[in-house]
Amino acid sequence: MSTTMNRRDQSDDDLGRHDAGRPWLIVAGREIVVRLTNKSFIVSTLVTLVFIAGFGGFSAWQSGRSSTTTVAVTGPAATQLVEQGSTAAAQADDKVSIKPQAVPDDAAAKAALTSGQADAWLHQSGQGWVLTATDAPDNAVETAIGGAVRTQALSTNAAAAGTTAAAIEKGTVLTTDRLDGQQDDSLFIKLASLAFSLLFFMAAILFGQQIAASVVEEKQSRLVEIIATAIPLRALLAGKVLGNSVIAFGQVVLYGAVGLVAVAFTDYSRLLPSLSAAVIWFVVFFAVGFFALACLYAVAGALASRTEDLQSTTAPMTMLLGVVYVVGFTVTGTALKVASFIPIVSVVAMPGRILSGDAAWWEPVVALLVMAGFAAVTVLVGEKIYRRSLMQTRGKMSWREGLKSADA
Amino acid sequence: MSQDTSTATGASPRFGASHPPESQTHDIEVRGLSRSFGEIRAVDDVSFTVRGGELTGFVGGNGAGKTTTMRMIMGVLSISAGDVLWRGQPITALDRRGFGYMPEERGLYPDQAVLDQLVYLGRLRGISTAAAKASVTDHLERLGLAERAKDKVQTLSLGNQQRVQIIAALMGRPQALVLDEPFSGLDPQAVDSMADLLREHTSRGVPVLFSSHQLDLVERLCERLVVLAKGKVVAAGTADGLRTQTVVRHRLVLSGDAGWVRDAPGIHTVDVDGGAVLFEVLDPGAEHRLLTEALRRGDVLEFAPQRPSLSEIYREVTA
Repeated sequence: MSTTMNRRDQSDDDLGRHDAGRPWLIVAGREIVVRLTNKSFIVSTLVTLVFIAGFGGFSAWQSGRSSTTTVAVTGPAATQLVEQGSTAAAQADDKVSIKPQAVPDDAAAKAALTSGQADAWLHQSGQGWVLTATDAPDNAVETAIGGAVRTQALSTNAAAAGTTAAAIEKGTVLTTDRLDGQQDDSLFIKLASLAFSLLFFMAAILFGQQIAASVVEEKQSRLVEIIATAIPLRALLAGKVLGNSVIAFGQVVLYGAVGLVAVAFTDYSRLLPSLSAAVIWFVVFFAVGFFALACLYAVAGALASRTEDLQSTTAPMTMLLGVVYVVGFTVTGTALKVASFIPIVSVVAMPGRILSGDAAWWEPVVALLVMAGFAAVTVLVGEKIYRRSLMQTRGKMSWREGLKSADA
Repeated sequence: MSQDTSTATGASPRFGASHPPESQTHDIEVRGLSRSFGEIRAVDDVSFTVRGGELTGFVGGNGAGKTTTMRMIMGVLSISAGDVLWRGQPITALDRRGFGYMPEERGLYPDQAVLDQLVYLGRLRGISTAAAKASVTDHLERLGLAERAKDKVQTLSLGNQQRVQIIAALMGRPQALVLDEPFSGLDPQAVDSMADLLREHTSRGVPVLFSSHQLDLVERLCERLVVLAKGKVVAAGTADGLRTQTVVRHRLVLSGDAGWVRDAPGIHTVDVDGGAVLFEVLDPGAEHRLLTEALRRGDVLEFAPQRPSLSEIYREVTA
């Protein structure tokens, strides 16, 4: 039945009605505008940014802080020890300084401690020395003065034994070294991996739930019936997933950039090159992984028929994300290697491996391709379930039912 | 969708014959439409035409199948059997894109401003942003909502939300209108504005199908009506046409007792109350013979055919 008639209508021309257009772009545009003008979204983004920037600021302040410890002394021997300790402390960390304060007697020293004029009191007791503070003495001060006490005692004892302190100490020092010449940053890598996990977990749950909620909102209000008569449902799904992915992606890029700047102000700034590479990979993985998840969340929304159903229809994704989150910072060794190729899990596992430097250049590429394939399958299957379940307004559907009807 | 069954069913040969594709009709034709939900046949072999330039009222009780039929016309529900034609051709998604549709259950984005979301819905239908904005603004003014354009939908009263929904369907010169209960929840003034708006659309040749429970309204507005009961069309045509199809009743009032009328030939006496009789004519012409007999017997105070209201017709055809 082919048609030869001219279907153009006068009124259509008047209105500039476009035949096909790009309806998914219109949908994506609306999703973006709605999200960007949402107050709670703006506030939560700003709070997170302040939190990230605050971490950098705090670290910078912490490492830039200098401290002076006043040690009360009653005799020249103690004064000398404190001065030696002060020199050693300044060599170890130029932000720590120690100065002696002479007091007439022990009672005066105690009084100085209680009044806060002195932070510690170095005095002799039996054969050794005692450093008394109002509470536990500062670590750096304890190490510096302890070293001075030890050196002096060693020299005295060595002289008495007819030798030198250097001769006695010979060969007693253990130094550590790494074959790769790097310093031990495992704690930082753990923290960074945790940050990746947390960021992905939070963004995916938050945006995922929002996508599902906006799908069910349209379904529940039957707006979807109006939309379905205007554009293909595929375009609606594509626009929704795309719009939300753009926002989520933008947010993660923002967090990542601010995070890197924050790290630049800390002692870990020397790790910036490898951290930047890991962050960039994370952002790329995030984009692809989130796209697949967004599609699943949209389907979860379509399976529900009321907002109340969302919790059960999104449960599989919540569980999956929980696993990803935990895997992100607990799994190590071969398990981590395997995890870094599993779609979605790889979003946090692979950047962690890149950061610790044990991933070959091709590994993230392969993992990314695997996830892209997974995302493509998700979109195709998801779209089918979405179309079938979206018009099903009576009660909620299970994932199994959704898949079955997609086959039918 | 079953676009190829149109030639196979052949339920109504009239359609194909009288409306060849070249004739550019603006009719929505529903042919042998059926839909089952499991064992239940919600719509059963329904056929009717919504003519271009006419208001067609879609009448029927709850569960009669009106909404199901309209959803199938709009393609949001798949068709079990039968088909829908637009301008003599099987309807396509692109055709429907130019239709204005108002679903039975109302809903809009609660958090979005009235103007923004109407423009959005217009753009989805392929209307340019500028044209959509102009059309929406015009409609908002006509329905008295101009100053609420920037308000969020959830701050509007239900009646005003209903008006916004109406604009969503009517904006941007739709090619056809399918409206499910468009008048429910409107105050009399809004009903009048709405009726005026619908007439504007029919005057430019657009077919309008709307369902309603308010029979008086349908009688006042519609050129034509389709009555649905238990999924089947029980009556279709103009209101006057339907009246002539039903058995006409007459009322006769005599000065004396009218008991003798019960035995008169060719009629069926419905009710006798003293001198007043209500009867149906079984044998055409019998009413005249009855009148002659009545005049012979005494004074006739009243003799007139009873013009049935649409409600009465409705009750009769759906009984």
